[in-house]
Amino acid sequence: MSPDLQNALTDFIPQVVPEIVLGVSACVLFLGATFRVSRHVWGVFALVALTLASFALIATIRSLPLFTEPPTTFDKSKWPLYAAPVLFTPLALFFKVVGLVTGFLLVLLSWDEGGEDHAGEYHGCLLLLVAGIGLVGAANDLLTLFLALELISLPTYLLLYLPRADERAQEAAMKYFLLSVFSSGLLLFGFSYLYGLTGTTNIPALLDMFASGQERLAPNPEASTQQPWVGVTLLALVMIVAGLGFRITSVPFHFYAPDVYQGTTTPAAALLAFVPKIVGFAALLRILGYVPGLSAFERPLGTAMGEQVPMLLWIMAAVTMTLGNILALLQDNIRRLIAYSSVAHAGYMLIGLAVVRYLANAPGESVGGVEALLFYLVAYGAMTLGFFAVLHYLDSPDRPLESVDDLAGLGKSHPSCGLLLTLFLLSLIGMPLTAGFVGKFLIFFDAMGLSSQNAEQARLYRILALIAALNAAVGGWYYLRMIGVMYLREAIDPLPRPRPAPVVATIAVCATLTLGLGLFPQSLLQLIRDALPRPNAQLVARAADEGQAVARE
Amino acid sequence: MDFTLTTYYPIFIYLVIVIGFGIAAIATAHLVSPKKVTPVKQMTYESGMDPIGDARQKFDVKFYLIAILFLVFDLELLFLYPWTTTYQQGSIIPAGLRDIVFWEVQVFLLTVIIAYLYAWRRGVFRWR
Repeated sequence: MSPDLQNALTDFIPQVVPEIVLGVSACVLFLGATFRVSRHVWGVFALVALTLASFALIATIRSLPLFTEPPTTFDKSKWPLYAAPVLFTPLALFFKVVGLVTGFLLVLLSWDEGGEDHAGEYHGCLLLLVAGIGLVGAANDLLTLFLALELISLPTYLLLYLPRADERAQEAAMKYFLLSVFSSGLLLFGFSYLYGLTGTTNIPALLDMFASGQERLAPNPEASTQQPWVGVTLLALVMIVAGLGFRITSVPFHFYAPDVYQGTTTPAAALLAFVPKIVGFAALLRILGYVPGLSAFERPLGTAMGEQVPMLLWIMAAVTMTLGNILALLQDNIRRLIAYSSVAHAGYMLIGLAVVRYLANAPGESVGGVEALLFYLVAYGAMTLGFFAVLHYLDSPDRPLESVDDLAGLGKSHPSCGLLLTLFLLSLIGMPLTAGFVGKFLIFFDAMGLSSQNAEQARLYRILALIAALNAAVGGWYYLRMIGVMYLREAIDPLPRPRPAPVVATIAVCATLTLGLGLFPQSLLQLIRDALPRPNAQLVARAADEGQAVARE
Repeated sequence: MDFTLTTYYPIFIYLVIVIGFGIAAIATAHLVSPKKVTPVKQMTYESGMDPIGDARQKFDVKFYLIAILFLVFDLELLFLYPWTTTYQQGSIIPAGLRDIVFWEVQVFLLTVIIAYLYAWRRGVFRWR
C-alpha cells in the first residue's frame, strides 16, 4: 500500500473532531439521563457541547487545509488523495455550519421536551443528529454516506417517540420508522448496484469510472442503449433518488409527512421539516456528482447516462410542488398544512437540482442550481423553524394550538407573535424583502436562464418555471388565509399569555435570518459561491462548442 | 467494463437446478407418500410432549428487552470474531492500518459498553 493511500485512510480523524465531540457528549447525556437531575441541566449541557463542537470546527478550519484542489485531468497519481472516507471540502464545511446552527436552534426550541425523565436522551439524540448532518456533508464513500444518513434516522425515531407516548404519537413514530427503513432499503439497493458495477464504494472513483465508460461510448451513441450497464446504472440511480426522495418528502414518497407531523409534537415536526431535507439534498448532490471539481471526472453521474436523470428530477419537481400545494389548500390542522407546504417547498428545491446539469456546463462563474438550492435550503430552514417555534411558544397543554381557527384574533391578543407569524408566512409565500423571496427568485431565475443551451431544453425548463410560478400563487392562498384568520377574525376563546422560555431565542434568530437574508442575500450567496468549486474551464469550453455544433445543425 | 449476461450463466443454471430440486422433492413426497391422517400425526410437534395451550399468546415485554440486549452482544461477537482472527494477517489488514483499526474496534466496544450501562441504569435487568 502506498504511503499516500495509508495517510488518506488514517489522517481523516482530525477532520471529524467536531462530530467526535458531539458523539461523546451524546453518550454522556444518555448515561446521565439515568440519574435524577433537572432537565435544565441537560439543556445547558447540550448547548455547551454544541459550543465546544463549534470551537472544534473553528480549530479544524484554522489548522487543516480545506480540500479545494480539483484535478483538471484524470491523474492517477492523485487518486490516494480522494481515498479518505470523509473529505473536508468547503461544501462539507458549509453543511457542518448549517448543522451546528440548526442544532442550537433545535435545542432551544425543544428545551422542555421529553419531560424530566427523558430530557437527557432527547438532547443526546439532537446532538447525534447534528453530528450526522456534518458527516453527510463530508462523506466521500457510499458506506460513510449511508451510515451518516442512519445516524440521522435512528435518533429521529426516538425524538418522535420520546416526548409523547399517546396513541397518535406512537402511530406517527411507527409510520415514520417503517417508511424510513423501507427508504433506506431502496437506497442500499441502489448503492449495491453501483458497487457491483464498479467494484468500489469511493464516490469520486465511482463517478470517474462512469465518466470514462461514457467517454468510450461517446463516439457511438447508439451503442449505449445496447450496453446492459447503462440500464443497470439508471436503475440504481432511480433507486437512490427514490430512497432519498423519502427524506426530502418529494411525491410519491411524501404521504407519511402529514400524518407524522400531525401526530407528533411541534418541535419534532420542525425537526422533521428541515433536517431530513438538508441531508437528503446533500446526499443527492454528492451521489449524482452535481458538485463539479470534487472528482477527476467531467460528466456528473446524474447526466452521464443522458437526459433521463434530469428529466426524472423535472417530473418529480413539477408533481411534488403541484400536489403539495393543492393538498395544502384542503387542510385545517396547522401542522398538516405545513407538512404539505414542506412537500411543495421540496418541489421548488428539486428545480434547482433538475437544472444543474445545463447550468454547470454553461459559460459563467457560478454553479447555478446548486447555489440556488443551498440558499433556498437555508432560507427554508429559517422560516419553517421560526414558524414552528412561534407555534410551540403559543401552544400549551391546557389550550393546544391545533387547527387554523385556533389562530383567530392572534393579531390583537398577541401582537408581537402575530407579527412574527406573519413575517414567516410572508417569507413562505415568497414576498420580497424576505429570505423566501430571494430563494424562489434564484431558483426560478435558474430555470428561466437556460436560453443559451439548446432550444428544446430551454423551453422545457421555462415550462417548469411557469408551473413553479403558478404554484407559488396557489401557495399564497393558504398562507394568506392563516394571516387573515389572525387579523380579521375575533377569538371566542383567546390563547393564554405564554411564559418566557428559551424558544424565544430560536424565534429571534429565525426572524433575524429571514429578514436579514431577504435584505442582504449577497452575504450568504457569497459564502455559498466560495463553498462551491468552480466548474472545469475545459469542460465549459467544450460544452460551449457542443452547444454551437447543435445550434448549427 | 465487460459486463455481459454470459458471465452469469453458471449462476442461472445453478438457480434452475436448486429450485427444480426443491420442487421435485416436495412433489415426489406428495405423490409417493402414504396418506393416513391420525390425530397424533396432526398434533403440533413439541419434542415428544403433548402441547399445552395456544402458541399465539402475549409475551411480557421484558422478554423483548432481554432479546434485544442479547442481539447487541451477539452482533458484537459476530463483528469481533473475524477481526481477532485476521488481525495479525497482513494480507487482510495492511500493517499500516493496524493501529487505527485496533482503536476503532476499541471505540466500538466502548459504545456497546455505554449502551449496556444505559440499559442497566434504566433497570432492564430488574425482573419485575
